[in-house]
Amino acid sequence: MGNKSLKNTRNRNTFLWGWILILPTILGLLILNIYPMFETIYQSFFKTGDFGRGNTFVGFKNYIKLINDLDVLQAVINTFKFTIVEVPFSIIIALILAVVLNTKIKCKSIYRTIVFLPMVAAPAAVAMVWKWLYNSQFGLINNFFDINVYWISNPSIAIYSIAIIGIWSDIGYNMILFLASLQEVPKDYYEAANLDGANGILKFFHITIPMISPMIFFVLVTRIIAAMKVFDFIYMIMDRANPALKKTQSLVFIFYQHSFVEKDYGYGSAIVVLLLVIIMLITIIQIFAQKKWVHYN
Amino acid sequence: MKKIYFTMLIFVLAISTIFASGQSEKVDNNEVSNKPLSVMIWDTNQEPGITKMIEEFTQRTGIKAEVQVVNWNNYWTLLAAGAEGGSLPDIFWMHSKASEKYMSNGLLLNLSDKINQSDEINLDNYPSEIVKLYTYENNSYAIPKDIDTIALWYNKTLFDEAGVEYPNENWSWDDLYINAKKLTKADGSVYGYANKNSEGQGGWYNMVYSNNGYIISDDKKKSGLDNPNTIEALQTMQKLIDEKIMPPQEMMAENNVDVLFQSGKVAMAPFGSWMLSSFKSNEYIKNNCDVALLPKNAKTNRRVSIFNGLGWAISANSKRADDSWKLIEFFGSKEGQLLQAELGITMSAYNNTSANWKSSAPYFNLDSYLKMQNDMVMYPYSKSSVKWELAVNDSMLEAWSGKITITEASKKAAKLMNEIISEE
Repeated sequence: MGNKSLKNTRNRNTFLWGWILILPTILGLLILNIYPMFETIYQSFFKTGDFGRGNTFVGFKNYIKLINDLDVLQAVINTFKFTIVEVPFSIIIALILAVVLNTKIKCKSIYRTIVFLPMVAAPAAVAMVWKWLYNSQFGLINNFFDINVYWISNPSIAIYSIAIIGIWSDIGYNMILFLASLQEVPKDYYEAANLDGANGILKFFHITIPMISPMIFFVLVTRIIAAMKVFDFIYMIMDRANPALKKTQSLVFIFYQHSFVEKDYGYGSAIVVLLLVIIMLITIIQIFAQKKWVHYN
Repeated sequence: MKKIYFTMLIFVLAISTIFASGQSEKVDNNEVSNKPLSVMIWDTNQEPGITKMIEEFTQRTGIKAEVQVVNWNNYWTLLAAGAEGGSLPDIFWMHSKASEKYMSNGLLLNLSDKINQSDEINLDNYPSEIVKLYTYENNSYAIPKDIDTIALWYNKTLFDEAGVEYPNENWSWDDLYINAKKLTKADGSVYGYANKNSEGQGGWYNMVYSNNGYIISDDKKKSGLDNPNTIEALQTMQKLIDEKIMPPQEMMAENNVDVLFQSGKVAMAPFGSWMLSSFKSNEYIKNNCDVALLPKNAKTNRRVSIFNGLGWAISANSKRADDSWKLIEFFGSKEGQLLQAELGITMSAYNNTSANWKSSAPYFNLDSYLKMQNDMVMYPYSKSSVKWELAVNDSMLEAWSGKITITEASKKAAKLMNEIISEE
């Protein structure tokens, strides 16, 4: 009996301490993430009054407007375009760089640092520099190659120009994650493959990729979520008078426009709920699809 | 038991940090008056001049103030966020497009009593239209700061090269079109004319009103963008776009018109008088450019300039309303207004101070801006200006970038604008 109650006390203590230790994080999540999330969903059923006062309940009116809003549809397309270009390229290039920088070459750490540098720079600063590089009149790219391309104001290419900035800034981060994962692949597999006479490309596809597939999966999921939420590059680069704006603005960008520029929190919230649903669907699909290609050993 | 005490201690500490932030707001008055007043404006070019005026004020009264500049687009986002969160700056600029919204929601300090008691401020000394902008239900909420008009800047060097006579007061918009065409170079290195398309004040609104068109009806109930006179006036813009006399919208979106103008890519462009502080510090413009009257409308013989005037406002919940009042009283006094004009910050709202402004940059023909005051129209606004202006600019943008005609764009803009006005 005495033994059991002692065990119970210890269990309770462990339990209590566990909660105390995660309390700061939980509180932060509740106050900064969970509460605003429900508040946002709640807001999306209201029409916002001046300065957030006198909101009136309008039911699903914001959502009906959302479905019929061509700008929102275009923003969904733009967001997908950005994601489809940005994510695969930033992963493939990072993977190749990681494999190359994992071999025995000179000045390895210098190269690693160079590739990682964009990650250290603030996105707003990165966007400002690229904005000048892309400038049609005074930009380095057009002047160096002596061409006249409207990189960021031609509606058919602007979104890809912005995706290139995204790729450039993400490669470093992805590469570090892949490098960490590559170091954990046992050397034995490669030695065995060498004995069997496999060449580098075969080893890459049959050993490296399967062995680090859990990391690739992690990067893929987080990158897609991040890409779907793209805002800062577009905000810094696109001007309201830019003819390409309609073809580049992402969902978060129009959410910002409606919520904070036009002060229509209700409609802005509806847009962001749509984004939440889209991201959730994509992530669920990925979690199911991973069973087909991710190897955990 | 020890552990429980420890846990409680942690809780108490954690909770006390929450209250700590609340307590720190209760500081005694001495400390408050040592802190500089917060002043928020949106024009970087005016900042050095305004800081100079504040230094003068600090020397006299000992009250310090600090200027924060937030660019035009973010200014309204930030100000509205401050209004909701109850943390507006002490003093800030007000603009016709937002004043009614701020006044009717009680966010600005009612200045009527202070004005009545003041020896320095008498609202009869300012243009009545500007005073009216900041009056709501017979109370005043801001002191007029400045008045602005629009005039036509031109690049003398490019005119000489093309052998074209400088713009003069007999020019009509058709003359502008013919001469702009002569100035345009086929290789795209020089364009004859450009105006800022992200807003109407510095460009196409002037054409519209000169042709007896309008943007919003006098009772502020109806859009004038589908008015035949409005559409007729904008056909000049259509010609300038179609014949590539104006730079493509892509180019103007990436580089502001003033950047294109000061790099010699554009021969003529209208700019507001507030641009003077930027232009007079630019060597290229000083050596090559000058300013003339806007062209007149051949049919109506009118030469309209849109005008506007900012106001200095105080936040309704400013903890230092009295000190803030002293500062804007200085800004609005005859002395302060003369100083503002002499420093070339902007034309001052105070009547008969323009001579001082004109002499702040004698190498430009600033008389043009003063002559434009002969036929002025107040910048069109209503309670929901912020919203319909964006909608109008977005629809017109499709015309500026050549996707649809101006006639189509203005009809579309009128429809959107009417919807927004009806929700006011």
